[in-house]
Amino acid sequence: MGNISDLEALLRPPAMDMPVYPPKAITLASGETMVVRQATREEVPTLLEALYPLLWVERDFYDIVAARLFAELLAFKRYRVKDEYVLVGLIDGELAGLVNGRLVDHKTGMSYHTLTVRRGLRVGSHLFAAKMEYHIEHCQQEEILIVAESPIGFRRWMIEYPLEKRYEVQHELGGVPSWVLPKDVYLAAKPRLVAGHRPVSDELMKSAATIVLPGDETVVRQVAGEKEEES
Amino acid sequence: MNPVYIAGAGMTCFGRSEWPLMQLASVASLAALKHANLGDIPVDGVVVANMGAARVNKQTALGSALVDQLALYPAAAESVENGPASGASAVKVGFQAIASGMADVVLVTGVERMRVVNGLEGTDFVASLSHPVAEYIYGVTLPSLAGMFARLVMDKFGVERKHLAMVAIKNHANGAKNPYAHIQQTVTMEGILTLPEAAVNNPPIAEPLHMFDCCPVSDGAASVVLVSEAVAAKLGGPKVRIAGIGQATDTHAVHEREDPTDLKAVRIAAAKAFDRAGLKPGDVDVAELHDAFTILEIAESEASGFFPRGEGHKALERGETQLDGSLPINPSGGLKAKGHPVGATGVAQLVELTWQLRGECAARQVKDAKVAYACNFGGFGNNVVASVLQREA
Amino acid sequence: MSNNVYGMKCSSCGTVSYPKHAVCPKCRNEKFEDVVIGGEGKVLTYTDAYALAIEYETRFLRLAIVELDDGIRVTGQLLADTPKMGMRVKTTIGTVRENGETAIQGLQFVSA
Repeated sequence: MGNISDLEALLRPPAMDMPVYPPKAITLASGETMVVRQATREEVPTLLEALYPLLWVERDFYDIVAARLFAELLAFKRYRVKDEYVLVGLIDGELAGLVNGRLVDHKTGMSYHTLTVRRGLRVGSHLFAAKMEYHIEHCQQEEILIVAESPIGFRRWMIEYPLEKRYEVQHELGGVPSWVLPKDVYLAAKPRLVAGHRPVSDELMKSAATIVLPGDETVVRQVAGEKEEES
Repeated sequence: MNPVYIAGAGMTCFGRSEWPLMQLASVASLAALKHANLGDIPVDGVVVANMGAARVNKQTALGSALVDQLALYPAAAESVENGPASGASAVKVGFQAIASGMADVVLVTGVERMRVVNGLEGTDFVASLSHPVAEYIYGVTLPSLAGMFARLVMDKFGVERKHLAMVAIKNHANGAKNPYAHIQQTVTMEGILTLPEAAVNNPPIAEPLHMFDCCPVSDGAASVVLVSEAVAAKLGGPKVRIAGIGQATDTHAVHEREDPTDLKAVRIAAAKAFDRAGLKPGDVDVAELHDAFTILEIAESEASGFFPRGEGHKALERGETQLDGSLPINPSGGLKAKGHPVGATGVAQLVELTWQLRGECAARQVKDAKVAYACNFGGFGNNVVASVLQREA
Repeated sequence: MSNNVYGMKCSSCGTVSYPKHAVCPKCRNEKFEDVVIGGEGKVLTYTDAYALAIEYETRFLRLAIVELDDGIRVTGQLLADTPKMGMRVKTTIGTVRENGETAIQGLQFVSA
């Protein structure tokens, strides 16, 4: 990595000790296995490439989520945000979805985004839950602040966990008051909402070693749900 | 009654469409008309099947709108609304026009473009078919009626969640062979039921029904061209006849049914259809049933007369309803995988069966299909239209 | 106070029907009197329904079809922690749906 200059050091936020997310494997409805693991700064350029075509997909708020994720991942890579993490879901190495967030302090986490590229298999639900698992079980936090861009999508989580209102706190994603997932609610919901097994076999981990991009076309088709309209 | 033939059949891909309502309807209609190859034989009537356009698309008088899109003036036209059975009802209306001698060629198109609204709005809209005072005000949704029915049937006949999963797995496998199907993703028993992760993969919707027991919300259109015997003779080509249509109703509130475990309207409608066709359930080579919920495929297979009451899940276990079984059910993928644009479904069932009888189904073709049956389930089983098709030449 | 739920009793053949119809389903007579629907009975079937209309903020709604001891069947919300087919319940009236400002009253079932 090399020495960073004094000025650069000034611009980097001080980092907390963050544990590595222990990878897990989840069998999806299709019978395929998704490996959930942490992504590194070196992998960010690949993830940015995956997000790029989604910057113009209006459907389901993909454009704004992809745009914000793009910025957050860049900030993570360039050490301009404090204590951010990224988790990815990979099926045979191919990116199925990603989630990110950061640690505000020892007690509180801040959930940023969830984006799925492979639809219809609850990838988003699995990855969001993995995020919550990371904050509470691995980072030993007490609660996570959550908001979302999509009102209907958010409503599902709000009701499903359920989340508690924390309206007096402004979430970093701007303008919207927060909801929170407290530790006890997470633990009660865990049997219903958090799945997967550890450890992940060596073979599976090898298949998940490098993030493979689904083609542009596949991504837009899965996300936008469009097919060649045949008749 | 004059004989009625299906001379052409077409549909759009089902799924999530960007096309507006009438474009979906037009594309399916033009495909069916092309398939029929009418030449300069005029279309006398147009019937459109649809449930939600007035509410979710803010558009009415779809029969007239379709005539205009296709420049078929001065053809007679109307739209037909019978909830999820709108499609088969619309075909019935077209059938009656030709059977009575009032028309020679009728275009019947079912269409739904529901995904302009979000899922909650869509669910509430469909729930509007329930009894307003005795059901709707309680937050009853169509899945909740199916859930209560499923629990009763499972309790009475020993149907288990694994049987429901078998229906989903079969129909997804069939759907993956159907380029028009909404969902092309296959699923496995481990992924949706037996593994611990199935709790997240397959969450409850209306217990005991889970996500993979319920059909998706789809946009799409399907169309058939009905013709008289004289026109069929002039056109040449394969002759698929609508051999019989039967319809029956039952109580609106599900709790008022004589036996809430029994799909009485299916039984009566099927019996009428077979009686008019001069055929029996045993004569059927392929069937499209209304699996809006997986439990309904099992229950309808019994009530339609294919298996004894309470034995449908056993036939499923024996593989009889697989694509290569003795009675393939839902080769198209059914509502579960092909999708369920509500107004289009009843017509889409007949499109699939027409193609099956004509040998045009490629990877999902049922061998030597000569007689076909469809069940279109309106309301929650309080208005059912059953149809029997027969290949004549 | 509570609003009752009403069925109809045919003035010709005495059959009670719920919900109301325009004619008696048994004898087609068109004159009837209101009867209050309720009492004790048993759960015929139930479901925990998710994916509810937007007015409901609860995670799921427990719905049931109950057969009352007088033979009338009803649909309503089951307020029991451990539902069972055949369990004994009795009806109460409560808020079953909210339509903007209006609270709609209807049948709820509690353990009997």
